[in-house]
Parts: sequence; C-alpha cells; structure tokens
Amino acid sequence: MIYVISYIVMGLGLAFMMFGILGIFKPGKDFYYRILVACKIDTVGFLTLAIGMALRHGFSFFTGKLFLIVIIMMILNPLVSHIMASQAHKSGYVPSCENEDDAS
Amino acid sequence: MYIILGIILGMLVPYLVRVVIGPSVWDRLLGLNLILSKTIMIIILFASIMGTTYLLDFAIIYALSGFVGTIFMALFLSQRNIQKGRGSK
Repeated sequence: MIYVISYIVMGLGLAFMMFGILGIFKPGKDFYYRILVACKIDTVGFLTLAIGMALRHGFSFFTGKLFLIVIIMMILNPLVSHIMASQAHKSGYVPSCENEDDAS
Repeated sequence: MYIILGIILGMLVPYLVRVVIGPSVWDRLLGLNLILSKTIMIIILFASIMGTTYLLDFAIIYALSGFVGTIFMALFLSQRNIQKGRGSK
C-alpha cells in the first residue's frame, strides 16, 4: 500500500517538473521570468520526489541521508538562483524582449 | 522506479536545448544549474533502485560543489560585463 502512495507522490513531483519545462520555453518571456519559474518549481519538484522516496524507504538510514540532501537543496537552490538573477541585473543585462512585457 | 528514472533522463534534453539556444550567457548558466539539480535527482533515484546508501554521499558532495561552481560562474560573468562598461554600479 505504501508503495502505491510513494509512487503517486513521486509522480506528482514529476508533474511539477514538467511545468518547470513549460515555464522555460514560454515565448516572449525574458531571462528573469525563466529563472523565477524554473528554480522555484525545481525545488518543489525535488522536495516532492524526496518525500515519495522517504515514504518508500520508511524510517531508515536512507531516509536520514535523503533528509540531509533535501535540506542542502532547499537552502542552495534558491540561493544560487538569487545570485544569478542579482548578478545578471547588476552587470547590466537587459533582455531584448523586456519592452514586450511592458506592452502586454 | 525505472519509469521515473527514464522520465527524468528524458527531462535533461529540454534543458540542454535551453543551454544551446539560450539567447544570453545567463540563460546558459540557468540551463546548467537545472541540469545539475536533475543530476542530483538521478543519483538519488539510482541509489534507491540499487538499494545502497553510499551513493547518497556522492549526491551531497556533488550538490555542494556544483552549486558553488555555478555561483562563481555567475560572479565571473558579472565582472566581465562590468569591465566592458555595461555594468550599473
């Protein structure tokens, strides 16, 4: 029974990541839109996948290490995307299709 | 489990496409960052399939070193643009 639930949760995580791919290839959007969508959904997808794995392995050494990786990813992923976006902005990167957003 | 592993492997292709066609350097860096986190998921899934736990140490070290590498790449790219006089102080 627990296997079925863990597969459902893992499938949910995969579904989140699929939306992340859609967010990346949205036409007419610039870099800042992409980095917001991709990294946020990536973190959530990873969290859901890890919960599914934890359900499957129950309370064991595997889940302990997995919890450590989840903590690292939860801290580092948003941190790295923030640094990328801030450095891109600071270094004067203005995406060409930005005025499109103002128009729409 | 193999289906999930296969789907995630299939998910690497769009990120690679984004790295190739990315209009700017920053899009390429974003694509690399996403490929990195997908690789961590693949390592974890593979460790779960094999039923061993020592593979998770690779995932921890790879996550830490990969993200630090991306941070320094971003810092380098921003310095390069500032030297060209396009940076906003």
